[in-house]
Amino acid sequence: MNEVKLFLGPQHPGMHGNYSVHMYVDGDIIKKARPTPGFLHRGFEKLMERRYWMGNLALIPRICVPEPDTNEMVYAMGVEALANIEIPEKAHWIRMLVLEMARVAIHLMSLGSIGGPTGLYTATYWAIAQRDLLLDLFEELCGARIYHMYIVPGGVRKDLPEGFTDKVLAMMDELDEKIPEYEDLILKHPVIHARTKDNILLPAEVVWELGVTGIGMRSAVGKEYDLRKVKPYAYYDKVDFEVPTATYSDALTRLNLKVRELYQSMRIIRQVIDKMPSKGAVNVPVSTGSALRWTVPAGMVYSAVESSRGEYGYFIVSDGKEMPYRIAVRGASYPQGLLGIEKYLKGHRIDDASLWMDSMGVCTPEIDR
Amino acid sequence: MNSMNNTINEIKAALKPLKMETPAFRQIAVVVKPDTVHNALSYLKQKGFTQLSIVTCVDWIKESEFELVYILFSWTEGIHIQLRARIDRDKPVMVTATDIFPGAQYYEREVHEFFGVEFTGNEDAAKPLFLEIWDDLPPLRKDFDPQAYSDSKFPMRERGNEFVSEIGGHDDE
Amino acid sequence: MVLDEKDNRNVWEKIGDYFSANSIWMKWYCTGCGAIELPPTMTSRYDMERLGMGPMATPRQADVLLITGYLSTKTLRRVIYSYEQMNSPRFIVAFGSCTINGGIYYDSYATIGRLDKYLPVDLYIAGCMPRPEVVMNGFNELIKMIKKGQAKGWKHYQENYEWYKKNQLDSLGEVIIKDEFHE
Repeated sequence: MNEVKLFLGPQHPGMHGNYSVHMYVDGDIIKKARPTPGFLHRGFEKLMERRYWMGNLALIPRICVPEPDTNEMVYAMGVEALANIEIPEKAHWIRMLVLEMARVAIHLMSLGSIGGPTGLYTATYWAIAQRDLLLDLFEELCGARIYHMYIVPGGVRKDLPEGFTDKVLAMMDELDEKIPEYEDLILKHPVIHARTKDNILLPAEVVWELGVTGIGMRSAVGKEYDLRKVKPYAYYDKVDFEVPTATYSDALTRLNLKVRELYQSMRIIRQVIDKMPSKGAVNVPVSTGSALRWTVPAGMVYSAVESSRGEYGYFIVSDGKEMPYRIAVRGASYPQGLLGIEKYLKGHRIDDASLWMDSMGVCTPEIDR
Repeated sequence: MNSMNNTINEIKAALKPLKMETPAFRQIAVVVKPDTVHNALSYLKQKGFTQLSIVTCVDWIKESEFELVYILFSWTEGIHIQLRARIDRDKPVMVTATDIFPGAQYYEREVHEFFGVEFTGNEDAAKPLFLEIWDDLPPLRKDFDPQAYSDSKFPMRERGNEFVSEIGGHDDE
Repeated sequence: MVLDEKDNRNVWEKIGDYFSANSIWMKWYCTGCGAIELPPTMTSRYDMERLGMGPMATPRQADVLLITGYLSTKTLRRVIYSYEQMNSPRFIVAFGSCTINGGIYYDSYATIGRLDKYLPVDLYIAGCMPRPEVVMNGFNELIKMIKKGQAKGWKHYQENYEWYKKNQLDSLGEVIIKDEFHE
């Protein structure tokens, strides 16, 4: 049998995002694979050097399209560390609320997007529509569905609208009813089982070799390796939650963990609303100077946040001027999306390639930047 | 915090860094000489900093130096380490870290593409990754001007009067 | 593209346009960040299919090419490939400000400035990013334009093929796709 060279993606319904994998296939078994990133490359790291510290707020959410709030949080944390700012108590709680709502939204979306590679489109229809109701809450909060620009250095942009927490709680109650249905539909479905059980394994040694973090790491290693626990930011040390883990990582395990994380996020949201003070400032002025042209003291800092796919980090360098000197972005899916594909995609079938990327949690815009 | 101080002291004793600081909560910055980076990485990996979060580079054009930054993380202690080393900007060469952290391969490739730093021992590092048919300076260097490149390659829309008439020109039934 | 020309279609073309307007297949290529609003548009909340539109896997069977936002040069090469594989009549709908003048990435070295220099755009949908309602409104508009015979971008591309090719080559160097093995 001859090996055939095949370009999978970027224009392909069975491809995960605007991404391409070039491969040699024998029959439908992948013999050799190379990732091809760069289709979404916008040169963010260069552009951010050319914008003011405040102007970058418009750029950073666009780095990872499905999960913008993590970017805002990382940037805000980094700038606050450089400028040595303590933000008000209420801002911490609101940030946690927003981050966990975003986590619920992205987990719902990725539960739905399992429909693409497996062909179970009912999952897509249900989960994406449910996520849309969450986006309505975000819209009420900040006026935008996708790119919120709500978490800013120094706190959050403004206080929660009136009655917002009640709506969030009502949404949580609704999710409590709905998620078991999704579990029945997705996690117990024979199609999903046939495709994901004992397929796309991720052994613990591969985790350490590649540097995979997030659900992939926890599903293989069996330890609570979550930045919210290991190196708590905001007030994650003041709320009570578990980090679901497993020791055998196939695609189904990782899907299961996603759903269990959903429940934990909802638990955090309820505690946050419970503990959040009703009054108080939500932001502090970051630095001196006019509103847009403030400067940040010189320094180099790395800030990291647990995104839905793992450690998301910015390395921020300031030389004390009005613009950042350099910002490097560590996309959470960088290890599995590049080296992971090169080394471990081979041996799978072609139709599992996009399932591989989906279940490993590869987000292409954050790889390309 | 105690373990943090212990870690700082141990690293100080073992690596003899040029400079050490704690830029943020549970974060250590270690500046070493470029020829000791490889040893430092393998020492830190033994110390439990098993995860390489990112390899990146900063262009200090005034000093004519590149500063390579390796960020490591210890999941058991929850400490980030920035390992930094400055290399010459005109002939930027560094020993690869892929034999210690295999995950460094694509980061090095990216640094090569965006800054032009060569990594000896990483065969793939010189191949293009994000950019296709690139014909200018490595784009993240400070002396590269993206505005000028963009203007020369991708001309902007010239706005004339037709812009105004286009808006009104579309009528519904 | 050009709106003011008088209707000089013959009766068969009118009939053809009428029917093609009622069954539009859009190509499933998520080129930029606007693509994040397409799943909500397609799925149960907004349900694009009631307009008679649906996603299509291959360019050869698709009618509409959506350019959902900024285009890096690497993507533009593939988009040109895909567009040239599509059968006429074919339409391009461009999302957001990035396709008009580069938008927020106006000074980026990797993304193009204006799309209509390289490919004929029939309809722009405003916003960064366009909401699902706006996207559907845009599709509605496209359907009207096709019925009236106003969506003539593909003819414009045929007639000015040299001009488009020259622009593509000027900006992209070459429109050719190489593999990632570097052998």
